[in-house]
Amino acid sequence: MQRSRPVVPEVITMRIKGGYHNRILHVDLTKCKTSVEQVNSKFALKYIGGRGWGARLVWEHMKENCDPLGPDNIIVIAPGPLSGLYLPASGKTSICSISPTTGIYGDSNIGGMIGVELRQAGFDAIVIHGRSSELSYLWIDDDDIQLMSAAKYQGMGSIETEHQLREDIGDETVKVASIGPAGEKMVRMACISADWGRNAGRTGMGAVLGSKNLKAIAIRGSKDIPVADLARLTKISNQAYKTLSKHNLFEFWQRQGLMSVIDYANTVGILPTRNFKDAYFDEAEKINGDVMELNYKIGDTACFGCPMACGNVNLVKDGKYAGTVIEGPEYETAAMLGSNLGISDFDAILRGNYLCDEYGIDTITTGSLIGVMIEAYEKGLVSLDDVDGMALQWGDDDNIMDLIRKIAFREGVGDTLADGVYGVIKRWPQLIPIISHVKGLDQSAYDARVAVTMALGYGTSDIGAHHARAWPVAKELEMGEKWDLQQKADLVIYHQTVRPLFDMLGVCRLPWIELGFDENTYAEFYSAATGIEFTLKKLLNLSNNVYNLTRAINIRLGMTRADDKPPERVFNDPIKTGPHAGKALSREEYENILDIYYRRRGWDIDGIPTDETLIASDLEDVIKYMEPKRKSNNAVKSRK
Amino acid sequence: MNDLRKKLTVIPERCSGCRVCELVCAIAHTGVNNPKKARIKIISLYPHPVIKMPIVCEQCKKPKCRDVCPTDAIVVNDGVVTILEDKCMSCHACVSACPIGAIFIHEDIDTPFKCDMCGGDPECARACPKKAILYIPEHTLGQSHRLKAALQYAHMQEVEYYEKGVKKKLRYAEVETGGTRGDNNEN
Repeated sequence: MQRSRPVVPEVITMRIKGGYHNRILHVDLTKCKTSVEQVNSKFALKYIGGRGWGARLVWEHMKENCDPLGPDNIIVIAPGPLSGLYLPASGKTSICSISPTTGIYGDSNIGGMIGVELRQAGFDAIVIHGRSSELSYLWIDDDDIQLMSAAKYQGMGSIETEHQLREDIGDETVKVASIGPAGEKMVRMACISADWGRNAGRTGMGAVLGSKNLKAIAIRGSKDIPVADLARLTKISNQAYKTLSKHNLFEFWQRQGLMSVIDYANTVGILPTRNFKDAYFDEAEKINGDVMELNYKIGDTACFGCPMACGNVNLVKDGKYAGTVIEGPEYETAAMLGSNLGISDFDAILRGNYLCDEYGIDTITTGSLIGVMIEAYEKGLVSLDDVDGMALQWGDDDNIMDLIRKIAFREGVGDTLADGVYGVIKRWPQLIPIISHVKGLDQSAYDARVAVTMALGYGTSDIGAHHARAWPVAKELEMGEKWDLQQKADLVIYHQTVRPLFDMLGVCRLPWIELGFDENTYAEFYSAATGIEFTLKKLLNLSNNVYNLTRAINIRLGMTRADDKPPERVFNDPIKTGPHAGKALSREEYENILDIYYRRRGWDIDGIPTDETLIASDLEDVIKYMEPKRKSNNAVKSRK
Repeated sequence: MNDLRKKLTVIPERCSGCRVCELVCAIAHTGVNNPKKARIKIISLYPHPVIKMPIVCEQCKKPKCRDVCPTDAIVVNDGVVTILEDKCMSCHACVSACPIGAIFIHEDIDTPFKCDMCGGDPECARACPKKAILYIPEHTLGQSHRLKAALQYAHMQEVEYYEKGVKKKLRYAEVETGGTRGDNNEN
């Protein structure tokens, strides 16, 4: 056990009156040292927090040939300036790093309480460097920070680790973020879990912690979170909670949460079905929100400060999975482990969700890759030997549970799947046409064939095919018929600007998306917290700057225009059934909208932000890194 | 006076654990954004069965905390158990004596602190998004508890299952879905 009390430098006179502690905790696992960086207000306000701070810190520490699983990579855990404050759903934390799934910038966010506790301990972010010589956990008890041996927790599941750590520390209120056995084994879709099964699931952040030999982070904080004008914040928030609770879907939302999306997605024909072959599942009514609410739900959970309580705690009461209790599934999990695998048995979805959470792997990527393997076996693209003698079939939950375990423990075929999309492609290049991914990240649970905006959103997302950055599909289906391509590109850019802003502020975007909560209110929250007046427009500009920064990170790591393309299936394989049967996108239309998108963003024809754009984004220091890429890109182009 | 005949009560089955009650309580009493300084605390346990429960002073008629206080710093004022800060020597005897743990301490605050029902208009009951905290007339208090007991009884179920070949039993409460007559909290 090593103990260290960080040396805290004298507080620099601050202009910002609240919202921030202005303190970042750096933990160097190689040297067993901690230090506190006093953040200057320029940095704080320019990148806001959360994903914004994370992206900048990753940029500053990155190397172009960095191994995401090597000790040189850093991982940033950053709640935002609104995290932990009295306002709806202020419990979000971004986790940013170079992703072992994709090899480029990656981030994932997690709800629950962990970020709030970190802020109560007096830190706005943690940056973890290096690699510990033995499996350890970090114990942050306000200013008392210790690196402890985690030998006892080796191989333990995420939820079990959390439970055990609380017991060993002797305080049930301690907040714990942990990885499961998959994270320890550096499975490239490993997640970081907290609050009993809330997960930062995407882009393999758990594998980065695993590579650093860090099993868990336990936090207990007692400090005030500074707010410049608490009276103003309280007044706006009282009204905000009232507005939300009066929404006609508020109560329905508390009951079903995101599970209600299953019916929506199936009705409009975007529900991933049998490895995205189809977008309509004829047994969807067996896995929807009503089924969950009537037969499985035993309780609600909410993240910090959230009135909507989208978390559903479910229990399997009989059958072979009886006794399975899990917070979840939400829509993505139910779709990816359900319809996408041909599973119409809600028991099995819950069991799959439980296994993924306990082993610590992402349900979206896991569901996607298992779907790929079932289709591959069905089509004869892989042999029975390749899949360890399991005659894979749609809806065969026994084999599917087995595959989940094999991935988490890197056994047999699971060892290949555990290396993610690129691992699978390396071993079986013939599977390229049936894997739905962008830049190595599996597509999340919304079919893109029905809406070119969704394809563009996936194609140009800075972390790969995830809906966190843009989810324009509903709007395009609703009103997009008469839009021209520029309007469509603009919608994607707007989404990619406003949605990451929530991650930067450290709040959840669901009140805005699902209950139509006015996004301008967040500028008021931020102004009240910091004591500096901000408009939404100003905040959106700052968010856009961060998008240019993450783009620059990816360009530096070798991404080109060729990587900004949606999954192959979007063009080649029309939807089979449902309201959009026969629908696929045209490659030409996509290339056209990509041109327009680049132009509207101020990126050149190869997708590299122009000097003017970078200057306008206050990113002059980035320009010099873009120049060589421009040349090499041109060279590649002329070769073609 | 009539206001003080009301009491706070909780329905744990409804609680989502969001801690809005802690936030509004801390802001109202201490003027800072710090849920750790609240006079109410959510305890969440996991996983069998899911328990989330707001802990708040029951304003006992014969308070144990008052009985153990060596300096007579705890008195009952109009039905509200109150800690007199100037008499309190912060020995924390009351904290350990409270059978439900509803007296709290924080290193920034000199004396232990507890719920004062906000002088008759409790912030927590107003703010709770799940209506898990109710502020109701004293004479209906029993009614709420009876309802709670009935709900627990009616919805408590058992299931048998096998884990690694061993037969196990699990008790769980069905989620409450119906309305709760008599517990209107529309103030």
